[in-house]
Amino acid sequence: MTNDTFFKRWGLAGLMAVICLLVNLPIILMALNSLQTTEQILASRNIIPASFSLANYQGLTNTPFFTYLRNSLVVSLGATAFSVTAAILGGYALSRFRNGLLNAYSTALFAVQMFPIILALIPLFLLFRPLGFINSPVSVIIVYSVVNLPFVTWMARSYFDTIPRELEEAALIDGCGHIEAFFRIVLPLSGPGLAAVSIFAFLFSYNEFFVANVFLRNAEAMTLPVGIQMFMQQFSTDWGSLMAAATLTMLPTLVLFLFVQKFITHGAMAGGVKG
Amino acid sequence: MNAALDTKEASAWRIRARQFLAPEFVTPAILLAPSILLLLVVIAYPMLQGFYFSFTDGLLMKSGDFVGIANYTKLLSQPAFWHSLRFSAIFAACNIVGCYLLGLGLALLLQMDMPGRGAFRVLLLLPWIVPSLVSIVSWRWMVNDERALFNQIITLFGGDPIFFLSDSNWAVTIVILIKIWRSFPFMMLSLLAALQSIDRSLYEAAAIDGATRWQSFWNVTLPQIKNISIVLCLLMTIWSVNDFDTPWLLAQGGPANATENLVVLAYRYTFARNDVGMGAATSFITLFVLMALVFFLLRLQRRS
Repeated sequence: MTNDTFFKRWGLAGLMAVICLLVNLPIILMALNSLQTTEQILASRNIIPASFSLANYQGLTNTPFFTYLRNSLVVSLGATAFSVTAAILGGYALSRFRNGLLNAYSTALFAVQMFPIILALIPLFLLFRPLGFINSPVSVIIVYSVVNLPFVTWMARSYFDTIPRELEEAALIDGCGHIEAFFRIVLPLSGPGLAAVSIFAFLFSYNEFFVANVFLRNAEAMTLPVGIQMFMQQFSTDWGSLMAAATLTMLPTLVLFLFVQKFITHGAMAGGVKG
Repeated sequence: MNAALDTKEASAWRIRARQFLAPEFVTPAILLAPSILLLLVVIAYPMLQGFYFSFTDGLLMKSGDFVGIANYTKLLSQPAFWHSLRFSAIFAACNIVGCYLLGLGLALLLQMDMPGRGAFRVLLLLPWIVPSLVSIVSWRWMVNDERALFNQIITLFGGDPIFFLSDSNWAVTIVILIKIWRSFPFMMLSLLAALQSIDRSLYEAAAIDGATRWQSFWNVTLPQIKNISIVLCLLMTIWSVNDFDTPWLLAQGGPANATENLVVLAYRYTFARNDVGMGAATSFITLFVLMALVFFLLRLQRRS
């Protein structure tokens, strides 16, 4: 390697490091400032805090934060179970078969991806209320399962595409049905792919605000984004607690994302392009 | 004669029936059944019902009477509707241009050879992956009052502090900036994948013909990513128009409805003013606007 390309490569890396820092500045500042009490924040307003304390995080134990967290986990795990079950079956069908029904379904998924969800939320609110689903995780779980469906199905499909057909064909010749071959042969081989698909479904549900905001209206039932938004409306000056709550909310997202980031090009491209 | 026709028709039916019962059709149908059931319950049925609601004067607590197109005519006569339509259009246009320029620029940088490239790619995706609420909290902190970070920078250069969230024009600017920040990573990621799939030999051929780097970008790179770019812009348009989180969480569509888009307007009609008919009509108009845009952009793609 010549000296010239060496400097060019590291110069470029330095530039990228600065860009990454600037792009993530809002999140970094929020996390840093969550380590100061509100009084300190309002008094000094330094960009980098001078002293650190965990007081805001301890203070969260006196708030419904952990109720919201529990609700978020219930909703996200429920929605993940539903959408992944539906999506692996659908994804397998899209990966292995070709016919008019599948083409129509593919188009329908693409339409759902672009669908203004508010259109369904108004009638669903009226439909769910007599059933007692408002302020219950059931309503949100059902809607998330569908909202997640396109992305999760495309990801599952592109994963099944990487599993060679020959494995099932051998089983089919031995008189095994297609569905049986799927459960006995393809599914056991899909562990890593299914894990990634499930984590994405979980992430989407955990991050979602709009649907939860419509259906979860009392504090006992709220998920983290909805609960913290309420807090933001009511105590807009208590920046310390607000930023601590937001930072803590973000942590699971970041950790899970690091596990699945290498799968994401696949899914995003499949969703954007294959249609 | 007739009998012969009948048997011919009957056998045609038998063939078709056999096609529908063949495992190649039945198996995928069984596999798709749960997904289709979900789509019918959560999308198709509510959509039909919502379409009916848009012709009634129903409330959240009691169903209303059929009022014909009264909701639509009332909506089209309201300045608030035209305002939110305009805001939705500005919001989508600025978001697409901003995301495309930023996304393409960063994708071109990420495509170059450098140490730590994988880590940079992941770090640049973070704004996209954090919950919308978290991104709004972090941005609000930077623009909230006269001593927030943005205003500290402005006063450093001798300017007067700006009240970003109480001035209409500034609130619109900030909400657009936040939306660009939240959605450029998707553009970057998809364009990066498109750039990496361009055949290397095209660049070699261009280099042999004596093309400069700019010429090869203009004549090789751009035409190669043109189609995917149109598809991405289409997706971005739709997602911008459908966005509720960014304008609502930043300022509830305020100040003075300045950042109220069609979805926020529909939400407000339904859940704040208890007017299901108007809410449903507004969301259907949103759907029509989207369909018109999709139609237009797809024509654009087909022509090219």
